[in-house]
Amino acid sequence: MISLSSYLIVSFALFLCGIVVIIARKNIIAMLLGMELILNAGALNFAAYTRFVNQNLDGHVMSLFIIIIAAAEAAVGLAIVIRFFQIKESIHIDDAVELQS
Amino acid sequence: MFLDTMFLLSALATLGGALMVVMSKNLMHACMYLLLSLFGVAGLYATLGADFLAATQLVVYAGGVVILMLFAIMLTGGVEEFVNKFGINKIPSMGTTKTYTIGAIVSLIFSFVILKTLSPLFKNYSQADLPPMESTVEDIGVLLVTDHALAFEISSVLLLGALIGAAVISRPRKINGGSK
Repeated sequence: MISLSSYLIVSFALFLCGIVVIIARKNIIAMLLGMELILNAGALNFAAYTRFVNQNLDGHVMSLFIIIIAAAEAAVGLAIVIRFFQIKESIHIDDAVELQS
Repeated sequence: MFLDTMFLLSALATLGGALMVVMSKNLMHACMYLLLSLFGVAGLYATLGADFLAATQLVVYAGGVVILMLFAIMLTGGVEEFVNKFGINKIPSMGTTKTYTIGAIVSLIFSFVILKTLSPLFKNYSQADLPPMESTVEDIGVLLVTDHALAFEISSVLLLGALIGAAVISRPRKINGGSK
């Protein structure tokens, strides 16, 4: 009953939720939450294709690297957010306009 | 069957959590729903036979990333100003109907493009000849130090760089009279 396409549909819906979160929110931490959703969708695709297409474990290793990169990205991104809050007293994305003009 | 029930429960947790991350008006609640969604993804990994990935997902996300997000949310809380420095009304930080409409339009365009371009590549593989699930930890360990040794080393350097970079960026600096 469960096949490759059901996993792909779940992953696709997760990706779209991440896109909507990144676009609709104006809070930097909320946008980082959306990024986590998108990275999870990609890693889920790797694992699903490993299970249903070729049973070598390279896809699992790629998912593992995606998880590592998501952890590093969250650490650096939140450090930047905290520094931005110390300078600007705000985490609204429209306050980050220093490079625009 | 057990596997189908597990898949349905995990997919429900994943998609429900993701939808509540989209809809929730409170950032702390959104982070908690993200935690639910990540647990659902770990369950999906378990139904795929990826036991090591499921454990890593739980350890890294539930133990690391979500806690870090909660700390950042609590450290950056404060009174939200509704007017920027030019005196123009700001968009509320958790979004309005207009931003959600734009997000829905963009996601529709995305889904159209992805379905149009990737559906010719899609083949449905038959379920019948799947091998039984077995432990993947040993094979992943062997792969990490043989085939993917370079990527493994680079990721260790990346994590060290992220650690030092996060410490340097978020260190408080004194503007005048300090050790600048």
